[in-house]
Amino acid sequence: MINNFVFVALFLLGFYAILVKKNLIKMVIGLNIMEGAIFYWFITLTDRGGLIPIVKSSQVVNNLNDPIPQALILTGIVIGASTSAFLLTLIIELNKFTNSTNPDQLGGMLED
Amino acid sequence: MSKTKHVITVIVLSLLGITMLIALNKIPNQFEYANSISQHIVNNAVKETGSLNFVTAILYDYRAYDSLGESTIIFGAVSGIVLLLSRKTLPVSSHGLSFIVKRTFGMLTPFIFLFSIYIITHGHLSPGGGFQGGVILGAISIIFSIVYGSEFDYKRYTPTTKTLLETGGALLFIGLGFLGIFFGGNFLMNLRFLNMGEGSLISAGSIPFINTVIGFKIGAGLAIIFYSMIQKTFKEGVDL
Amino acid sequence: MSTSLILLIIIPLATAFAIPFVDIFSNKARKYLVVFTTFLELFILVTIIFNNYSSILNGTLFLKYYMGNWIPPIGITLVMDMLSIFFSTMITFAMVFIVIYSIGFIGHHEGKYYVLLFLIWAAMQGIILTGDIFNLDVFLELLLITSAPLVAFKRNREGTEAAIKYMFYGTIGGLFVFIGVVLVYFNLGTLNFAHISQNFNSLSFFIKKMISIFFLLGIFIKLGIFPFHFWLSKAHSACPSSISALLSGVIVKVYIYVFIRLFWNVIGFEVLIENGLDKVILIAALISSIIGHIMALNEDDIKKMLAYSTVANLGMIISVLTLNTKLAIIAALLHVFGHLLMKISLFTTTGYLLQFTPGHKLEDLKGVAYKNKLLFIGFIVAAGGMIGLPPMIGFSSKWYILRAFINQNIHWGSIIIIVGSVIAFVYYIRFIIYGFKKISIGPPEKFRLILSVFYRERVVTDIAIFFAVAIIIAGIFYKIALIPINGAAEMLQNPYIYVETILGG
Repeated sequence: MINNFVFVALFLLGFYAILVKKNLIKMVIGLNIMEGAIFYWFITLTDRGGLIPIVKSSQVVNNLNDPIPQALILTGIVIGASTSAFLLTLIIELNKFTNSTNPDQLGGMLED
Repeated sequence: MSKTKHVITVIVLSLLGITMLIALNKIPNQFEYANSISQHIVNNAVKETGSLNFVTAILYDYRAYDSLGESTIIFGAVSGIVLLLSRKTLPVSSHGLSFIVKRTFGMLTPFIFLFSIYIITHGHLSPGGGFQGGVILGAISIIFSIVYGSEFDYKRYTPTTKTLLETGGALLFIGLGFLGIFFGGNFLMNLRFLNMGEGSLISAGSIPFINTVIGFKIGAGLAIIFYSMIQKTFKEGVDL
Repeated sequence: MSTSLILLIIIPLATAFAIPFVDIFSNKARKYLVVFTTFLELFILVTIIFNNYSSILNGTLFLKYYMGNWIPPIGITLVMDMLSIFFSTMITFAMVFIVIYSIGFIGHHEGKYYVLLFLIWAAMQGIILTGDIFNLDVFLELLLITSAPLVAFKRNREGTEAAIKYMFYGTIGGLFVFIGVVLVYFNLGTLNFAHISQNFNSLSFFIKKMISIFFLLGIFIKLGIFPFHFWLSKAHSACPSSISALLSGVIVKVYIYVFIRLFWNVIGFEVLIENGLDKVILIAALISSIIGHIMALNEDDIKKMLAYSTVANLGMIISVLTLNTKLAIIAALLHVFGHLLMKISLFTTTGYLLQFTPGHKLEDLKGVAYKNKLLFIGFIVAAGGMIGLPPMIGFSSKWYILRAFINQNIHWGSIIIIVGSVIAFVYYIRFIIYGFKKISIGPPEKFRLILSVFYRERVVTDIAIFFAVAIIIAGIFYKIALIPINGAAEMLQNPYIYVETILGG
């Protein structure tokens, strides 16, 4: 299925950026790509090709798209934005001490 | 060395990707709708909450507690950012753009503000809501610092005001939740008696009020984040 | 329907929102507010315990609260059963002591410090009381994003680096949990714990396995179990000692709670057994245990050593949980309780002693015992508990863990626990001996105040003595702690009670 393929491709692209890139800001972008991939996947999985879930009156309308994933993703987007903002702050702070944004100065992400 | 590491990463990730793809393709591709909670919401949301926008109905009524957590996350991020980047002096990042831009933006600002208020208050009738409108409110403050220079906004809309708006919004949200208990229900119960007819501005109980407090809270929070981050990006007194 | 459940979450949350508001007017009012709400929260918890005294003794406590009057599975439900009240009580008491310890200890940015501390408190109570899987995810992210600024609280290079690592690992862990939530919603169309649990067995074998793997990955990354233990020691040692105590003593327990709740009540442990994942968890956790002890032995920085000891103990708790007998769950929960007491005690006493030393290394701690002998006795008692010496609580919990392993005939597991205890003996006794060493050079230069923070000596000493006494008393009368633990273990053995009580009305 095409949406699974796009999800896996985007998710691993973001993961690749986190593993390989030598710039912390690019790693944050990678994290955002991973988040975006999950949101895309959620919305396409539950898409039934219906109408948008906003109606004009209280009469029951059939063939509406599922509103719950949209609400959950809105929450997820806000969470992701806060996480990125805070990570960028930490990078600004690190840049003050070391004058670089290279992740190698963390002693490697996979070492202690 | 770096190149071999690179190649190994690519190979491992492609193997992982193939595994994930095979695994994900085994899940059924049609969502089973009949037994789900969304069926109940789609059929009854307008009757039960009065909101014509189902997403808003979920965000501020069925799962309003999630929205409380979500706005708390922004509050936590703002607190952390202020903790790390706080300073005592006023940041003067720029003195603004040319006269024409300042005039034009001066005329546009009321309309942008009106637009954000529209989006916030009509969250239960049309696409939008507190979070979306609040982002526009925050953007006004950010554009001010670009167009008029950061000092302008800093003096008219001081950090104290922003903090008051942010914490005030959050406390009002909790207060609206307790009103639910006060009127004989549970925390964050929708106050359905605030209803002036389907499709009108005051029609979905406490949803428009929650939208409003969240909108101001988010706008102030984003402005605080921006003003904490712009310190020392530009040299003081340099005219851009 | 009990309103006190929502108060447990909202009181710390409202305090956090109100602190910047109060700060604008007066700094002194903030201190009163903090102390007042801390004891208000404690009061509400005690009220819950007293009102449901008999049902706690019977092990049948079950309170629920429907958010916004929406009955499950439509809205969000708050649930308090035996497991929740056990964790909630532990966390509330621990936070009371951490708040008292913090007063007068934090030198700069006190307002923001308390805001974040209370947000963490609210997030922990929210995680423990929630009955909804997406709400759990939201509060997990809240816990991450409020604890990370405190990791970087010292505003030096190490703290910032540790916080960046902590954020990256935590966010990726959160993403895996979110994928799990997406799969659960897509396949079952519901988000309520009980409703998921009711329908989970109707799924195909493969999907059950996939959901379990994603949740497991997320929680293991957040807990720091073996393949993902890289970030933990740095993050838990780079911050002020009160935060170290909070991270290492309390927050990891919340993740253990999430692990238990998800894999016993929501997914069901038999799913893990049928997928063969329980053996994987057991092996990873035992490797984590032994690696943690070895790394702690290698380390001569005392705070890092304590952090590695946390890795080891977490591995021990998770490994004994996977045995899934009643005895094993009792042993794990008892060790959770003991580890919480001992780790908070160790970090708070160490934090006080470190202000007299030029660094955190072994040599720097020479003769530190003579500075405040009562406090050092507290350190020795807690260290003895970590090793597993009687009569401390560590002995009884390790005894239960060994019995659980031997009852299941996993003898190599018990051997690893014993070897770990021997290693722990070596690395704790090293620091105690160094603490008692006489210093040849004159003490006045050595004992100058290095850190700019100011401690209130009496309060800190009182807390250390209190914890030392608590560790010994809990070790002798551990049967009292077994009352709620027994009830929790019985509830976990019969997950259908949870489902029926929530969905039954």
